Amino acid sequence: MSSRAIRHVDGSAERQSIPFYRNVKTLALLAQVIFVLLAALGIWILYRNITTGLASSGLTFTFNFLGSRAGFELGETTIPYSASDTYLKALVVGFLNTLKVGIAGVILCTLLGVMIGVMRVSANWLLSTFALWYVELLRNTPLAVQLIFWYYAIILSIPPRSDNSLQLPGSILVSQIGVALPWVYPTGNFGNWLPWLVAALAVASVAYALRVRQLRREGRFGNRFLVPFIAFALVAGVGYYFASSGNTLPGGTTATVDPLTGSGRVFVDENDNGVRDAGERLLSRVPVTVRIPEARLETISSNVVESREAVYSTFRFPLIQEREFESAEVIFRDPEAAAGLSIHFDSYPSIGVIYRDLNGNGVFDAGEEIYYDANGNGSYDPGEEVPAEGARIRGYNGVGLAMEINGFERRVVSDQTGALRLPIFRPPPAGEEAAAEQSSPGGLAGGLGGLFQTPAQSEAAPEVEASTEVHVPGPLVYSEPTVPRSSYFGGAQLSTPFLALLLGLAIYTSAFVAEIVRAGIQAVPRGQSEAAKALGLSGGQTFRLIIFPQALRVIIPPMISQYLNLTKNSSLAVLVTFSDFFLVSNTVGNQTGQFVSVYVIILVGYLFISLVFSLILNVVNRRVALVER
Amino acid sequence: MSLSTNPATASAPPVGAAEGVNAYAPEGGEKIIEVHGLNKWFGDFHALKDINMSVNKGEVVVIIGPSGSGKSTLIRCLNRLEEHQEGRIIIDGTELTDDVRNIDQVRRETGMVFQQFNLFPHLTVLENITLAPTRVRRWRRKEAEEKARYYLERVGIPDQANKYPGQLSGGQQQRVAIARALTMGPKVMLFDEPTSALDPEVIGEVLGVMVNLAKSGMTMCVVTHEMGFAREVGDRVIFMDAGHLVEVGSPEHFFTSPREERTKAFLSKIL
Amino acid sequence: MIEARKPPQTNAGAVAWARRNLFHGPFSSLATVVLGGILIWAAVSLLGWVFGGANWERLWVNLKLFAVYRYPSDLLWRPLLAVGALLFAFGASASDRERAGSHIFAGAFWQFWALILGLTVVSIVASWQVTPYYILATAMGIGGWLLGRIVPALARNGAYIWIAVLLLTPLLLYGLPWADQGGMRAVPITMWGGFMLTLVLTTGIVPSFPIGVLLALGRRSDLPAISYICTALIELIRGAPLIVWLFIANLMVPFLFNIGPDVLPALGKAYVALVMFSAAYTAENVRGGLQSVPAGQSEAARALGLSGWQTTLLIVLPQAIRAVIPALVGQAIALFKDTSLVFILNLHDFFNVHNTVVQQPASIQITGGIRLELSLFLAVTYFFFAYRMSVASRQIEKILGVGER
Ligand SMILES: Nc1ncnc2c1ncn2[C@@H]1O[C@H](COP(=O)(O)OP(=O)(O)O)[C@@H](O)[C@H]1O
Ligand SMILES: [Mg+2]
Repeated sequence: MSSRAIRHVDGSAERQSIPFYRNVKTLALLAQVIFVLLAALGIWILYRNITTGLASSGLTFTFNFLGSRAGFELGETTIPYSASDTYLKALVVGFLNTLKVGIAGVILCTLLGVMIGVMRVSANWLLSTFALWYVELLRNTPLAVQLIFWYYAIILSIPPRSDNSLQLPGSILVSQIGVALPWVYPTGNFGNWLPWLVAALAVASVAYALRVRQLRREGRFGNRFLVPFIAFALVAGVGYYFASSGNTLPGGTTATVDPLTGSGRVFVDENDNGVRDAGERLLSRVPVTVRIPEARLETISSNVVESREAVYSTFRFPLIQEREFESAEVIFRDPEAAAGLSIHFDSYPSIGVIYRDLNGNGVFDAGEEIYYDANGNGSYDPGEEVPAEGARIRGYNGVGLAMEINGFERRVVSDQTGALRLPIFRPPPAGEEAAAEQSSPGGLAGGLGGLFQTPAQSEAAPEVEASTEVHVPGPLVYSEPTVPRSSYFGGAQLSTPFLALLLGLAIYTSAFVAEIVRAGIQAVPRGQSEAAKALGLSGGQTFRLIIFPQALRVIIPPMISQYLNLTKNSSLAVLVTFSDFFLVSNTVGNQTGQFVSVYVIILVGYLFISLVFSLILNVVNRRVALVER
Repeated sequence: MSLSTNPATASAPPVGAAEGVNAYAPEGGEKIIEVHGLNKWFGDFHALKDINMSVNKGEVVVIIGPSGSGKSTLIRCLNRLEEHQEGRIIIDGTELTDDVRNIDQVRRETGMVFQQFNLFPHLTVLENITLAPTRVRRWRRKEAEEKARYYLERVGIPDQANKYPGQLSGGQQQRVAIARALTMGPKVMLFDEPTSALDPEVIGEVLGVMVNLAKSGMTMCVVTHEMGFAREVGDRVIFMDAGHLVEVGSPEHFFTSPREERTKAFLSKIL
Repeated sequence: MIEARKPPQTNAGAVAWARRNLFHGPFSSLATVVLGGILIWAAVSLLGWVFGGANWERLWVNLKLFAVYRYPSDLLWRPLLAVGALLFAFGASASDRERAGSHIFAGAFWQFWALILGLTVVSIVASWQVTPYYILATAMGIGGWLLGRIVPALARNGAYIWIAVLLLTPLLLYGLPWADQGGMRAVPITMWGGFMLTLVLTTGIVPSFPIGVLLALGRRSDLPAISYICTALIELIRGAPLIVWLFIANLMVPFLFNIGPDVLPALGKAYVALVMFSAAYTAENVRGGLQSVPAGQSEAARALGLSGWQTTLLIVLPQAIRAVIPALVGQAIALFKDTSLVFILNLHDFFNVHNTVVQQPASIQITGGIRLELSLFLAVTYFFFAYRMSVASRQIEKILGVGER
């Protein structure tokens, strides 16, 4: 061909004579080589500085420390963790916590952001103006300030203290230490149900496929998910019923409680001696009814700050519901010292104030819970009355109270470690000898659906009589939160730091999400909605069927980068003392001094998260591009 | 460059002798553009196949052909906006090689006008025109501005010098683009569909400028489908298809007796 | 011929407006009533708290900490003089009526000037020691404006005033390095803090810009090795949160410069981390701008004989940067907000001063604490500046949009 012919006549000699500094090809190569060399030089200098710096400060760069004992507790754990676990485990817990708050935050910020974004384009002036200022206010204040606001100014200081938890419908408890919800946990019998769940999933998938085919054949729109969902629920429900017949507990399952310490445990009593010996297995998620026929709870009155206000002379017993006892009476432990004082309940029988009925009307009036500390010893002495205003006032604090309680009964579920927690009980006034007798020995091994009667205390002289009844759990067990002392037990608990971080991140990010949603909706050409209206679609239909699906394509890619931002911003957890990946790494660094290794771990962790997000983004972008064609 | 590593050796399609023709300029003239055995690939796609052509000084060559036939690629190879892999391109005695000096030399001597004008939107008309003369030719600003005004006058828009391109109509923008290219004093002007992005009523003003330019003796390579222009000032017309030069002749030849079937089919569509 | 008439007046009046915008349909009416009720309740309780329940005394007595932290009290005239100088330059360039976008400058200038004026009034009422300097700063602001009006040449050469002021400011804040007493004695930057530190850290946007542009150009380079290295650096920096980089900077920045761990104060370490972090994000913004410049632009430039560098510097970059100015202002806002993270290096910027105040014995004694008051104060202050910047950004966007087409 002619090209070959030309090759002979072409002036290759001249071409080869181009000096390298004028040849575009070699120049490009040269530039790259120089650049790479410079980069390598930079890295080498950094490396040398680090190694010499480390050497001079006596540090080495290793990851060996990861296997050693961490020795610190974490406020928040998604998997079992204690101070005796390794640094590696602590880091894993931190990473999982970051994921946990990230995922919850992504869901919450999407809900909020879409809502605000749609409000932003609403025809209603009030809604759109509100949404505008919502976005502006949140975007233009640092997240750090918002976190401080949510954590210290709102969540820590507005709700009541834990011993006065707000009880919302559905057994939800809200207090300074967080929120506790009733929760269902899988138990040791969950395996019985598993085959049914798998079957239910299979049935639902088949139903889904059939339903989709039916809809396509009939050529109409309809809900594709309702029928499969009902099928799933039906099979799973029936399965739960049948699976329950196979529920068992290991033979010798025993629960013990010590009312004096308020603690107990559920375990497999191999040698049937009624106490847990070394090596005997603890059982988690086992429901137990604890009965205490007669005992008393004790407390002293005090002044507390609650919801940014001082509360004087209040007494708080552990939170006890009225259905949990037959009778209860609150009395002064030392009637002498409390001469002239009365008791007023804010919430019978656990919470109230003590007061002096100054005006003698027989009921508590505001101001009567306060006295004048005449001798300035900081606590109440008989005879110290409330004087005229202006005096220094303190409450009647330090006054001992007791709750005589009969027929206490509470259903608790052992936690992950097999432990039970109850309020701390005291013996009834004259009941020391009476409690010495023991209830009948228990240990009816292995009965289906049977109950196990065991003595609460077998060795130490029992001052408070208590009995436990172990129930055989179903595949799932329902656990309600309680407040045995100053923290929650049972249910699912959301700690204050977690809530503050979640709320702060979700609300902050929702402002950015709202802007993305608004931009997405406005990016749909005007002609689209005009065309839809011309076809006779209603306003709602136009938005749902025409505008939003198209907006979604514009919305989703930037949304994913906001999700990544949210997850990265969760590193501000350090401000609210939430044990996220960064806080844990920080602690590990400070404890071991292995900072450089810890830096590497942190960077790898966050780069991993970023990588996952950009993979998702790529997949989504490809999808969007496909749909657009 | 080593030819043996070229993808062409493996994937060169079977090309019959009738597929390619030469478009060498009539003997006797001073050759200002010479292209021999030019081949160009985009990845595995063979965009230009064995192009042989030359242009004499003062000649106006019009290139026509269906979309995607390689017209732009060919004309962009002539000032190395695209790099060719095989063959030789010699512009005014300077061969386009990897030598930066040669590339710069060729670009200084050729002006180019694009379909999309490609004026710099952040610079005024005057700045657009004087940028290259002051930076490349190192003229003094005053000198460059005088030249610029002269050419603005010639393209018929002397009073728009201080406007931004965004404030001009399409036809005015394209005339500024021509003035910008001319101010560098090129020996060859390359036009890539200069009127395709214009509204019909302003095409005339741009073509008028180009006709005047041609009549003033400028060497021009013009990709256009304005056959009126070709007939008025075109010396030769080249028809390209699928990377080949298919047919070469005078404008009259194309209007009256095109030889190839493909040429006829194409002409019947645009005429 | 038919005369043009006014449209029939059916859509006017407050009632008609309300019907159209608040009560058009049952859902809209319900939303208006519910949201309106909530907002009124919230506003009433907030106002009631601000003027009744809140304890502003701790904030009031600690205002100096919030402003400059431990900067010596007898030298407060120096930061105030710097404020005055900045206002002077601001006023001078805002007064230029000729320049495009001068109304943006003017709007921002008058707001900042009003802020300083307000502080001056407070200062007079509370008879602070620094009152004369507040008055001076206010006067310098208005003086700059008037001077710019009277001598337009001054306004037009605002750049020189700015350079002078930006050189003067560090001198005022730091003093003479060799002096250890007197009015111009050196104030070590370990004593800097408060809002002053926040602003100092925010200036990191300036060096981060050229670095970001270089990184963006590198990433877009045709040469793969350069592109890969720049991409890797950008993605590495963006991959981890800023707080992590600040944490790392504590140990690594001294290594970077091969100096002892205590040579560089925490401010320097934080500055390096902020600049690099901001540069990576700026690079991504600029890359977006570079992508928005049509390929034809650089082709036209090359066809005219401009070199690669000339094409980039004269043709591509100016257009790219113009396209992303709003994004760059957004980056400045982000940096301004992000400076609050320097608490991790134990710096006492505006945000972290509040922790100091909260821990003062007098603050601890206050029932319920003062976090609510302080966080609202912080939020309002940050908002004032950040929102002002975002308004400017939107105005710039509008101007650019108009100029382009
Ligand atoms: N940069 C490029 N990369 C890959 N293919 C290209 C490129 N530029 C052009 N092509 C292809 O080369 C062929 C010729 O293009 P072009 O010269 O623009 O045709 P014309 O100008 O005749 O319409 C087309 O098929 C086009 O798809
Ligand atoms: Mg073309």
